[in-house]
Amino acid sequence: MADFLSAYSIQSWLESCPQGYLEETEYGHAPGEHEPSEVLENQVLNEEAIRATVQLVVGERCALAASSGLINAAPDELSKTFLATQTLDEARHTEVFTQRLLDLGVKKKDLASVIAHHANPNLVKFAELLLEKVDKKDFVAGVVGQNIVLEGMAFSVFEMLHALNGAMNPKFAHTLSGTIADERRHVGFGENRIGSLIKEHPEKKPEIERMQKEMSYFMLATFADAFRNNPARAEYKRLEEELQRSGQRADYQGVDLATMEPEQMEEVLADTVLKEFKVRLGRIGIEYQTPVRP
Amino acid sequence: MAAEREVHDLEPEAFLDEVHSFEFWFQAVEGYLSGLTFGHRPATVEVPLGEDERQRLITVLCNYCVGETAALEGASGLIAVAPNRQAKIFLSTQVVDEGRHLEVLLHRMRELGVEDPEAEVERRASRSLRLFRQRLLDLVAGKDWEAAIFAQNVILESLEFAVFQGHAERADPVTREVLLGIVKDERRHIGFGENELGRRLQQAPHTRARLSEIRKELDHLVLDTLGETMQEIGAPDDERQRLGRSYLDCVRRLGFA
Repeated sequence: MADFLSAYSIQSWLESCPQGYLEETEYGHAPGEHEPSEVLENQVLNEEAIRATVQLVVGERCALAASSGLINAAPDELSKTFLATQTLDEARHTEVFTQRLLDLGVKKKDLASVIAHHANPNLVKFAELLLEKVDKKDFVAGVVGQNIVLEGMAFSVFEMLHALNGAMNPKFAHTLSGTIADERRHVGFGENRIGSLIKEHPEKKPEIERMQKEMSYFMLATFADAFRNNPARAEYKRLEEELQRSGQRADYQGVDLATMEPEQMEEVLADTVLKEFKVRLGRIGIEYQTPVRP
Repeated sequence: MAAEREVHDLEPEAFLDEVHSFEFWFQAVEGYLSGLTFGHRPATVEVPLGEDERQRLITVLCNYCVGETAALEGASGLIAVAPNRQAKIFLSTQVVDEGRHLEVLLHRMRELGVEDPEAEVERRASRSLRLFRQRLLDLVAGKDWEAAIFAQNVILESLEFAVFQGHAERADPVTREVLLGIVKDERRHIGFGENELGRRLQQAPHTRARLSEIRKELDHLVLDTLGETMQEIGAPDDERQRLGRSYLDCVRRLGFA
């Protein structure tokens, strides 16, 4: 175990993250990059960008609370030091997405109220389920909920957003690149560390499987809220058509998102995340539970 | 220096936003951690230690690990209690600093030939420091923000600052580099504690009496730990007294005479 965990040391993290892919960045993107003028000036697009970014802040705040809360419950020093790096990664994500809200025109004094107003209630329920395990210092359930379910979801959402923004908003796409690299490391730790702990505590499986099913439901409900009846639908359609006309694509999981309706995108995202859950949970000996579809 | 002056030109709220950010931490540590492997330059030559000296150094490092584990657990637990986003983000940078300290100290023990450093820590750690750690974690678990920040970012960090600086002066070259890197982080942590508590003490002077009680309770644990450590590293009496005074000065700056 020590050998595998040494790949997750702070020394490795320093070399790969702050001294690696974050070098020469400012709030996760290249200095001097800005939000596109259309996102700042078009009221519908601006409101939608703020609403979507608030969900990212809410998710990252949950991840920060969970990873820091799990340090005291970790059974060994190497897991504690890995979680220390994850804590700072999550704090950085909170900071860069909060900074994006400011870049989108939210006033600093209004941050708390804007976040409270736009936070999706299903995402808040999703977070509460995880933080309940963390509060109980349940390391195994907490790491599965955090590093496999939450991080697995975040990883796929960020990849989809990255594909959608690559051509239209390089600043945001660059911010997402760094967070994707971090999430990949977090998911890897969850899979590698928890497998052996599940073997030691098979009695925890039913409770963890129940948690995964419930968290998955609230995740799907959050996706449904984001894609269905989206007020920026017409504006997005227009941007996608512009993208197609210029010959650019938004490739994600083998499809071109620029040619798809929001409901189709929701289906692709949900299927991708759930398929990933199934594979990753299988690797650690947990049986994937199919959630109810909202 | 130019960057420092710029930061200090900011209005109080903007200043706190800046110095409690990931970006600020990132710029700060990049300067002194770049090129180091587990806290020291790879080229630094290891000086052979006599067996007695090696054993004493291992005991001291075991105690440092207890202090750093306490700080790691304390800082991470305090994130949930922190009153605002800036404080949460600062504490996250502190969590990774404390995690790094623990990692480089355990690694240093391996370099000194200890096969299972965690087991060695269990075997050798001082009772006073273990008690301090438990008391700190009780304050964190009780969600007592002022008391926990006082115990951790003022008392514990001031103790570590004084001890590590004193030890670095007489340590072997590799240990010295490891300790001086840690001291640079501790300075930032003490600054956060002083700033956070300083403002709160101005707004709520009655808090001072409560913190004074906590200080009375913890002081003897701190001074016992300091004395034990200085004895292990062979510091003369006058230096032990100087370091004791250095610790007390840090606490005095907040008006706890």
